[in-house]
Amino acid sequence: MSASENYCDKEKRNTKSIAVWTVLWLLSTAALGFGPKFIWDYHMLISLVLVWVNLFFGYKMVVANKQLLEDLDELQQKIMFLGMAFALGCTVVVATVLGLLEAIRLVDSAINPSTILFVTGITYLIGIAMAKRKYS
Amino acid sequence: MNNRLKVLRAERNWTQAELAERLDVSRQTIVAIEKGKYDPSLPLAFKAARLFGMPIESIFQDEPSPD
Repeated sequence: MSASENYCDKEKRNTKSIAVWTVLWLLSTAALGFGPKFIWDYHMLISLVLVWVNLFFGYKMVVANKQLLEDLDELQQKIMFLGMAFALGCTVVVATVLGLLEAIRLVDSAINPSTILFVTGITYLIGIAMAKRKYS
Repeated sequence: MNNRLKVLRAERNWTQAELAERLDVSRQTIVAIEKGKYDPSLPLAFKAARLFGMPIESIFQDEPSPD
Protein backbone atom coordinates (compact mmCIF):
# COMPACT_ATOMS: atom_id res chain seq x y z
CA MET A 1 0.00 0.00 0.00
CA SER A 2 1.78 3.19 -1.15
CA ALA A 3 0.93 6.78 -0.25
CA SER A 4 0.81 7.81 -3.92
CA GLU A 5 -1.79 5.17 -4.73
CA ASN A 6 -4.84 6.83 -6.30
CA TYR A 7 -8.50 5.95 -5.87
CA CYS A 8 -8.64 3.59 -8.89
CA ASP A 9 -5.48 1.75 -7.80
CA LYS A 10 -6.91 1.24 -4.33
CA GLU A 11 -10.19 0.01 -5.80
CA LYS A 12 -8.39 -2.48 -8.06
CA ARG A 13 -6.18 -3.74 -5.23
CA ASN A 14 -9.12 -4.18 -2.86
CA THR A 15 -11.31 -5.87 -5.49
CA LYS A 16 -8.50 -8.31 -6.29
CA SER A 17 -7.93 -9.03 -2.61
CA ILE A 18 -11.59 -9.67 -1.85
CA ALA A 19 -11.93 -11.85 -4.96
CA VAL A 20 -8.96 -14.02 -3.94
CA TRP A 21 -10.13 -14.54 -0.34
CA THR A 22 -13.75 -15.13 -1.41
CA VAL A 23 -12.72 -17.82 -3.90
CA LEU A 24 -10.49 -19.50 -1.28
CA TRP A 25 -13.31 -19.34 1.29
CA LEU A 26 -15.81 -20.79 -1.19
CA LEU A 27 -13.42 -23.61 -2.17
CA SER A 28 -12.72 -24.47 1.48
CA THR A 29 -16.47 -24.37 2.21
CA ALA A 30 -17.12 -26.75 -0.68
CA ALA A 31 -14.30 -29.03 0.52
CA LEU A 32 -15.76 -28.97 4.03
CA GLY A 33 -19.23 -29.73 2.69
CA PHE A 34 -18.34 -32.59 0.37
CA GLY A 35 -14.86 -33.77 1.43
CA PRO A 36 -15.79 -35.75 4.57
CA LYS A 37 -18.29 -37.88 2.67
CA PHE A 38 -16.59 -38.27 -0.69
CA ILE A 39 -12.85 -37.91 -0.06
CA TRP A 40 -11.61 -38.60 3.49
CA ASP A 41 -14.46 -40.68 4.97
CA TYR A 42 -15.25 -38.40 7.92
CA HIS A 43 -11.67 -38.45 9.27
CA MET A 44 -12.04 -36.15 12.29
CA LEU A 45 -8.56 -34.56 12.21
CA ILE A 46 -8.79 -33.62 8.52
CA SER A 47 -12.29 -32.17 9.02
CA LEU A 48 -11.12 -30.24 12.08
CA VAL A 49 -8.15 -28.77 10.22
CA LEU A 50 -10.39 -27.80 7.34
CA VAL A 51 -12.84 -26.08 9.70
CA TRP A 52 -9.99 -23.87 10.95
CA VAL A 53 -8.75 -23.25 7.41
CA ASN A 54 -12.29 -22.28 6.40
CA LEU A 55 -12.60 -19.92 9.38
CA PHE A 56 -9.23 -18.35 8.53
CA PHE A 57 -10.23 -17.75 4.90
CA GLY A 58 -13.56 -16.36 6.13
CA TYR A 59 -11.74 -13.99 8.48
CA LYS A 60 -9.44 -12.80 5.67
CA MET A 61 -12.49 -12.28 3.43
CA VAL A 62 -14.18 -10.14 6.10
CA VAL A 63 -10.98 -8.10 6.61
CA ALA A 64 -10.64 -7.60 2.84
CA ASN A 65 -14.27 -6.45 2.68
CA LYS A 66 -13.70 -4.02 5.55
CA GLN A 67 -10.62 -2.62 3.81
CA LEU A 68 -12.60 -2.21 0.60
CA LEU A 69 -15.31 -0.26 2.44
CA GLU A 70 -12.76 1.93 4.23
CA ASP A 71 -11.01 2.84 0.99
CA LEU A 72 -14.21 3.79 -0.84
CA ASP A 73 -15.00 7.48 -1.19
CA GLU A 74 -17.83 9.04 0.83
CA LEU A 75 -20.57 8.56 -1.79
CA GLN A 76 -19.61 4.95 -2.50
CA GLN A 77 -19.61 4.28 1.26
CA LYS A 78 -23.08 5.79 1.48
CA ILE A 79 -24.27 3.60 -1.40
CA MET A 80 -22.90 0.50 0.34
CA PHE A 81 -24.50 1.62 3.61
CA LEU A 82 -27.91 2.01 1.94
CA GLY A 83 -27.54 -1.39 0.26
CA MET A 84 -26.65 -3.05 3.57
CA ALA A 85 -29.51 -1.31 5.39
CA PHE A 86 -31.98 -2.52 2.76
CA ALA A 87 -30.58 -6.07 2.91
CA LEU A 88 -30.66 -6.16 6.71
CA GLY A 89 -34.24 -4.90 6.86
CA CYS A 90 -35.47 -7.35 4.23
CA THR A 91 -33.59 -10.23 5.87
CA VAL A 92 -35.19 -9.53 9.27
CA VAL A 93 -38.68 -9.34 7.74
CA VAL A 94 -38.29 -12.43 5.53
CA ALA A 95 -36.51 -14.49 8.21
CA THR A 96 -39.26 -13.72 10.72
CA VAL A 97 -41.99 -14.87 8.34
CA LEU A 98 -40.05 -17.95 7.24
CA GLY A 99 -39.42 -18.84 10.89
CA LEU A 100 -43.15 -18.80 11.56
CA LEU A 101 -44.22 -20.84 8.52
CA GLU A 102 -43.53 -24.21 10.14
CA ALA A 103 -45.07 -23.18 13.48
CA ILE A 104 -48.34 -22.13 11.85
CA ARG A 105 -48.30 -25.29 9.69
CA LEU A 106 -48.07 -23.64 6.32
CA VAL A 107 -45.01 -25.76 5.46
CA ASP A 108 -44.06 -29.27 6.64
CA SER A 109 -40.38 -28.77 7.44
CA ALA A 110 -38.17 -25.97 8.74
CA ILE A 111 -36.83 -23.54 6.14
CA ASN A 112 -33.21 -24.14 5.11
CA PRO A 113 -30.97 -21.42 6.67
CA SER A 114 -29.25 -20.95 3.29
CA THR A 115 -32.52 -19.40 2.08
CA ILE A 116 -31.83 -16.49 4.44
CA LEU A 117 -28.33 -16.04 2.97
CA PHE A 118 -29.87 -16.04 -0.49
CA VAL A 119 -32.39 -13.34 0.54
CA THR A 120 -29.59 -11.25 2.08
CA GLY A 121 -27.40 -11.53 -1.03
CA ILE A 122 -30.15 -10.71 -3.50
CA THR A 123 -31.58 -7.79 -1.48
CA TYR A 124 -28.06 -6.40 -0.97
CA LEU A 125 -27.55 -6.31 -4.75
CA ILE A 126 -30.99 -4.75 -5.25
CA GLY A 127 -30.26 -2.16 -2.52
CA ILE A 128 -26.92 -1.23 -4.12
CA ALA A 129 -28.56 -0.91 -7.54
CA MET A 130 -31.31 1.34 -6.14
CA ALA A 131 -28.80 3.56 -4.31
CA LYS A 132 -26.55 3.82 -7.39
CA ARG A 133 -29.53 4.83 -9.48
CA LYS A 134 -30.49 7.47 -6.93
CA TYR A 135 -27.08 9.16 -7.21
CA SER A 136 -26.45 8.72 -10.94
CA MET B 1 -26.93 23.03 -2.15
CA ASN B 2 -25.81 24.62 -5.42
CA ASN B 3 -22.26 24.32 -6.69
CA ARG B 4 -20.05 25.60 -9.50
CA LEU B 5 -17.96 22.48 -9.84
CA LYS B 6 -18.96 21.83 -13.45
CA VAL B 7 -18.16 25.41 -14.54
CA LEU B 8 -14.82 25.47 -12.73
CA ARG B 9 -13.89 22.08 -14.16
CA ALA B 10 -14.83 23.20 -17.70
CA GLU B 11 -12.74 26.39 -17.31
CA ARG B 12 -9.71 24.20 -16.68
CA ASN B 13 -10.57 21.73 -19.45
CA TRP B 14 -10.62 18.85 -17.02
CA THR B 15 -12.73 15.77 -17.58
CA GLN B 16 -14.83 14.38 -14.75
CA ALA B 17 -12.34 11.51 -14.46
CA GLU B 18 -9.43 13.97 -14.10
CA LEU B 19 -11.23 15.95 -11.42
CA ALA B 20 -12.13 12.71 -9.64
CA GLU B 21 -8.46 11.69 -9.67
CA ARG B 22 -7.33 15.07 -8.32
CA LEU B 23 -9.90 14.87 -5.50
CA ASP B 24 -9.21 11.15 -4.93
CA VAL B 25 -12.84 10.13 -5.36
CA SER B 26 -14.76 8.07 -7.93
CA ARG B 27 -16.09 9.62 -11.14
CA GLN B 28 -19.62 8.77 -10.00
CA THR B 29 -19.14 11.06 -7.01
CA ILE B 30 -18.17 13.97 -9.28
CA VAL B 31 -21.18 13.28 -11.51
CA ALA B 32 -23.52 13.21 -8.48
CA ILE B 33 -22.08 16.44 -7.02
CA GLU B 34 -22.24 18.27 -10.36
CA LYS B 35 -25.86 17.22 -10.84
CA GLY B 36 -26.70 18.36 -7.32
CA LYS B 37 -27.78 14.87 -6.32
CA TYR B 38 -25.17 14.58 -3.62
CA ASP B 39 -23.78 17.20 -1.25
CA PRO B 40 -20.10 16.57 -0.44
CA SER B 41 -18.81 16.37 3.10
CA LEU B 42 -17.00 19.38 4.54
CA PRO B 43 -13.52 17.79 4.11
CA LEU B 44 -14.23 17.06 0.44
CA ALA B 45 -15.65 20.55 -0.12
CA PHE B 46 -12.49 22.06 1.43
CA LYS B 47 -10.35 19.80 -0.73
CA ALA B 48 -12.16 21.08 -3.83
CA ALA B 49 -11.70 24.67 -2.62
CA ARG B 50 -7.95 24.08 -2.18
CA LEU B 51 -7.74 22.46 -5.62
CA PHE B 52 -9.44 25.38 -7.34
CA GLY B 53 -7.68 27.95 -5.12
CA MET B 54 -10.95 29.58 -4.12
CA PRO B 55 -12.90 30.10 -0.92
CA ILE B 56 -15.35 27.30 -0.24
CA GLU B 57 -18.38 29.62 -0.44
CA SER B 58 -17.38 30.58 -3.99
CA ILE B 59 -17.87 26.98 -5.06
CA PHE B 60 -20.71 25.77 -2.85
CA GLN B 61 -23.73 27.90 -2.01
CA ASP B 62 -26.55 27.06 0.33
CA GLU B 63 -29.94 26.92 -1.39
CA PRO B 64 -32.45 29.38 0.06
CA SER B 65 -35.28 27.62 1.88
CA PRO B 66 -38.65 27.69 0.05
CA ASP B 67 -40.50 29.55 2.87
